[in-house]
Amino acid sequence: MGSVLIEGVTKTFRRTAAVAGADFVAGRGVTGLLGPNGAGKTTLLRMMATVLAPDSGRIRVLGYDPATPSGRLAIRRRLGYLPQEPGFHRGMTVFGFVDYVAILKELTDRRARHDEVRRVIDLVGLASVSGKRIRALSGGMRRRVALAQALLGDPELVILDEPTAGLDPELRLRFREIVSRIGEDHTVVLSTHQTEDVAAVCHKVVVLNAGRVRFAGTPTALIERAAGRVWLDSARGAGARLAWRNGDGRVRNVGDAPPGAESIAPTLEDAYLLLVGDKDLAVTS
Amino acid sequence: MTGWHVDEETLRLYARGQGQLSFGASVEAHLISCARCRALLTPAVDVDRLERLWDEVVERVDAPRPGVVERLLRLARIPEDTARLLAATPSLRASWLLAMAATLAFAAFAAASSASHDRGTLLFLIVAPILPVAGVAVAFHGGLDPAYEIGLATPYPQFRLLLLRSAAVTAVTCITAFAAGLLLPQRALTAAAWLLPALALTSLTLALGRRVDTAYAAGVVVAVWTAAVVLGYLRLGSFAVFGIAGQLTYLAVAVASLVVLAAGRNPYATRLGGV
Repeated sequence: MGSVLIEGVTKTFRRTAAVAGADFVAGRGVTGLLGPNGAGKTTLLRMMATVLAPDSGRIRVLGYDPATPSGRLAIRRRLGYLPQEPGFHRGMTVFGFVDYVAILKELTDRRARHDEVRRVIDLVGLASVSGKRIRALSGGMRRRVALAQALLGDPELVILDEPTAGLDPELRLRFREIVSRIGEDHTVVLSTHQTEDVAAVCHKVVVLNAGRVRFAGTPTALIERAAGRVWLDSARGAGARLAWRNGDGRVRNVGDAPPGAESIAPTLEDAYLLLVGDKDLAVTS
Repeated sequence: MTGWHVDEETLRLYARGQGQLSFGASVEAHLISCARCRALLTPAVDVDRLERLWDEVVERVDAPRPGVVERLLRLARIPEDTARLLAATPSLRASWLLAMAATLAFAAFAAASSASHDRGTLLFLIVAPILPVAGVAVAFHGGLDPAYEIGLATPYPQFRLLLLRSAAVTAVTCITAFAAGLLLPQRALTAAAWLLPALALTSLTLALGRRVDTAYAAGVVVAVWTAAVVLGYLRLGSFAVFGIAGQLTYLAVAVASLVVLAAGRNPYATRLGGV
């Protein structure tokens, strides 16, 4: 059994089905939830993180049932959670805020707690601004503060909701390094719009669309699905769902290739677009 | 380089941290400029002690600077970790406390300046118990606590946090209102007659919060309270609702609410998956 088990899970807000019967398993390593806005990624992550109850279906996190109080407590003692829009007590310093969350995480010994706070602040590269108030930090730095609190206590399961949103390229690379290191011996489930992040660090990818799982498997298996469906031409092909002109002036087509087309190796982004891409998004040359 | 050097016994005492402060300062002043004495000192240093001292220095430098509210809580001998949790309470922020003080000041001004004092006193008696209710309603409200969702996913007991914050907010509000009440002309009423109603309304809000959002619960409680006091004043022409019978009723409501709050598995503990 994996670290996270999702079976037939549904969640409806008013009349909108955010999750409409999702099934997948996430084991040790990094699992990426990929999907467009409104696909249900955040709702699923919030349910895994025990802050939202599903309407129906079965969820098991690290073998515990989040529907029971004892199960929730057990999960929370092993969980690190970065919400999509993390809020901060902006008058607190970086150290003070992470220390505040450490107290909530039952790190009661002051000295040991402060050592752990220093460790995670250092891990996300914020040691030099540890004494600064959060209101004085940039958006990217705040994102790293939120990541630091999620890593407190070396949790078995780390849930990260769009952790790279708002980060510049250098910070995204640093983030990949951190997540990749954690994923070596822990379970990380993250959501993202960035197919590059998934391709770079995820062992498994779950593609969601309209609250349903459209694909669950390795990034390589997802890419293989697009084999023979990406080709270069001088113009947009008739069967192309998406097409754009490359830097070398040729048109990269993604869709149903015509016979004899000059196929090229697909990327994860191509495969993702074929799975959930909207024809209305097509950009022609 | 100097011709004088620290003798071995002095170096040993210095390495152990023994001797007076002035003694250590003199040795240090010499060590800065004398490589020979530094070399002699090195083997005498207790590495474990040095690491402990260094850790202590790092700890002192890194320790978060507490804000005003947190410092006041520490002065009141609240443990450091509890003080930090309480300092994050939305209704203990400076902006909220200032708003509360302004409301009380307005009510107190009305009580002190109206011709018969009665209408102003009535306003004060209505407002004073409402302030702790409002403070408690937002003390644990997701919309006002920016780190609410992060906190929900931690194992800290939500019910304990709710009670801690409610107790702190109620205490701060009631002390302020009590002080304001002492300054008013009808201080026999304004100083303390609202205390039991405040306790009753606050605990009733928390008890209703088992079923509905605390903000809604507070809204209903405040509306009923205001209507009851105004109607009582208009029909009876006095502050009868603050008499002995009224106070006993508030005490009964407070006790019943606290019993309901404490009884059985608490939905506060399980709401949104709380523990």
